[in-house]
Amino acid sequence: MNSQAALQTTNRIIAAILGGYAFTWGFSVLGITSLVALGIDFHEAETGLSLIAFLVFLGLFLWAFAAKSMIRVWLLLAGGAAIMMLIGTVLQNSLLS
Amino acid sequence: MFNSLRMSMGWVHTWMGLVLGFVLMICFFFGALSVFDREIDRWAIPDTRFEPQPMPSFDEVLKPVYEQLRPDPVDMAATERRVVGSLPDPETLELESLFAYTTHRDPVLLIGGEFAIPNQPIDPTDDHQHVHGRATVNPATGELLNDDALKIGSDWFYPMHFSLNFNWMMLGYWIVGLAALVMLAGLVSGVIIHRKIFREFFTFRPWKNLFRSSLDLHNMTGVVALPFHFFFAFTALVIFASNIYLPVTHTTLKPLHEHHEKLEAARTGLPHEPAGVPATLASVDAMVAEAKRRWAQRDMAGEVGFLSINHLGDENGYVSIYRAGSDRVALVGEGIHFKASTGEVIREEPPRSAVSSIDEFLTGLHLQHFEHWMLRWLYVFGGLLGAVCIATGFVLFVEKRKARHAKTGSQGSRIVDALAVTTVTGMVLAAVGMLVANRLLPADLPGKGQWEQIAFWSVWVLAFLHAAWRSSPVAKARHNPAWREQSLLLGLLSLSAVGLNWITTGDHLIKTVFTDTYWAVAGVDLSLIATALIAFFAAARLRSPVSEQKADNALSRNKQVNAYD
Repeated sequence: MNSQAALQTTNRIIAAILGGYAFTWGFSVLGITSLVALGIDFHEAETGLSLIAFLVFLGLFLWAFAAKSMIRVWLLLAGGAAIMMLIGTVLQNSLLS
Repeated sequence: MFNSLRMSMGWVHTWMGLVLGFVLMICFFFGALSVFDREIDRWAIPDTRFEPQPMPSFDEVLKPVYEQLRPDPVDMAATERRVVGSLPDPETLELESLFAYTTHRDPVLLIGGEFAIPNQPIDPTDDHQHVHGRATVNPATGELLNDDALKIGSDWFYPMHFSLNFNWMMLGYWIVGLAALVMLAGLVSGVIIHRKIFREFFTFRPWKNLFRSSLDLHNMTGVVALPFHFFFAFTALVIFASNIYLPVTHTTLKPLHEHHEKLEAARTGLPHEPAGVPATLASVDAMVAEAKRRWAQRDMAGEVGFLSINHLGDENGYVSIYRAGSDRVALVGEGIHFKASTGEVIREEPPRSAVSSIDEFLTGLHLQHFEHWMLRWLYVFGGLLGAVCIATGFVLFVEKRKARHAKTGSQGSRIVDALAVTTVTGMVLAAVGMLVANRLLPADLPGKGQWEQIAFWSVWVLAFLHAAWRSSPVAKARHNPAWREQSLLLGLLSLSAVGLNWITTGDHLIKTVFTDTYWAVAGVDLSLIATALIAFFAAARLRSPVSEQKADNALSRNKQVNAYD
């Protein structure tokens, strides 16, 4: 494996593990706050999301290796994580106020 | 980098599977042993070889025992680092909450509690303001069990499979969590890279060469038990989701969580905070009787599985009594809560919602505390199938590359093979070696459990050194003799564990199976004998040397099936 291929592989591994985790985190935050906003019990929402979250993570993990464009992978994972995190925390603040 | 889906999935399967496979071996093997953790405890602590007991009387037996409970020194030290100033003398700390837990397989009772501390936390958002204490009680007599007697099953093999007993910064948990995710990815990618999944289900050609039969066994164990493997890796992540792997509700969403807790306390009438007014404790036995009466009324009579008291000694204190789940999948449930000072019912939990039912079913099916011995054995075989699937993966990795590595002078397959020996035979040696040490060390040795742990790690490290020392033939495309040597040793060690159990306790198989039946000990002994037979069989099969010519032929035949490499 030459150095460029090694770099590309490292990029995919980091995207799959850390990028996938960040997206899953944001997904859970947005998911729980949205469900609570819809009137569902907090612990129900928490449990429900924990059942879905790792399947989402698994899908993203494999996609990070299968995808053609790594730019697209990072845009979705990092961008998605940031946007969902933002909406989720704003939603939390409005639920608490 | 990858030209096709199959190639990228092949890469994930091979390399992620290899690196985390060593961890997955530990998870599957020790997970399989955990199915019978309580029974292994009985084998390792002969003083507790008696029948399982229901939860004893709280007022008569347990109440005085909690007065002997002391904070755990390890948790004292850990808490000391999180708070301002030094902690008071552990003898003076008072319990603020307590619990007792038992299942249909427990002759002994696990109790514990939280001791209040006056210190302020260093991190103001840290609300974990107490020190834990834990002890094991003989429910028949109310005696505390000696802490030096390590419960090898439930306090060593069981935590091994989810934390590697490596608790520094919870790193063991995180490594296992990543391994679980990779297990899921390995299963999905494995299905993608294999086209003829249905045919492989029925294909096993043990008479073919090592590569071909390993591949068959890898596919068969992977496919036959695919739902089992997927389920365990998945629920492993779900079980620890909210506390370790994805603690969003303890971090990002902590404000919302706390808000909800207060609303819930108001709704259920279970006080979130102590009142600060001292109060006495009414008869807990009367509360237990009332809980049992209410369960019987709901046509689900049962025993107490879990009992806890919160805000102990306070006006807001309450007693929670949960029904043991021996007869269904969910662990405990049907909680009934009583006011501690008067014994009146505050709340009877309604039936579960759909989401929590699914969650409790899934986690309960992983943790399996229900009473079903046949299913319990199927779990063991499922776990061992997982271990076989991963071990054959290592063999495939090595067999596919070692001829090429021998030509180029690479040491890659040699290293992988030595690590495979370490995590296959070496791991089982460590486990059996620990049991042998348990029988050889005197029962009253101070810190006996520590010595057993040292024995466990020492055997494992020695197995690795032995495998590495004997590994040079792999670099010449031959087999590592360590496989055979460790198999032989494993056979001998397993038999000596059975013999030592007989000599030191008088419990031989004729007694434990026929004359004075005690299946917990008999089961461990019989499993050790089965291990010995398999190990001797493997050693005998590994004796026939494979000539280089034959190995080369095998490799050239394999080229066609490895197109995705």
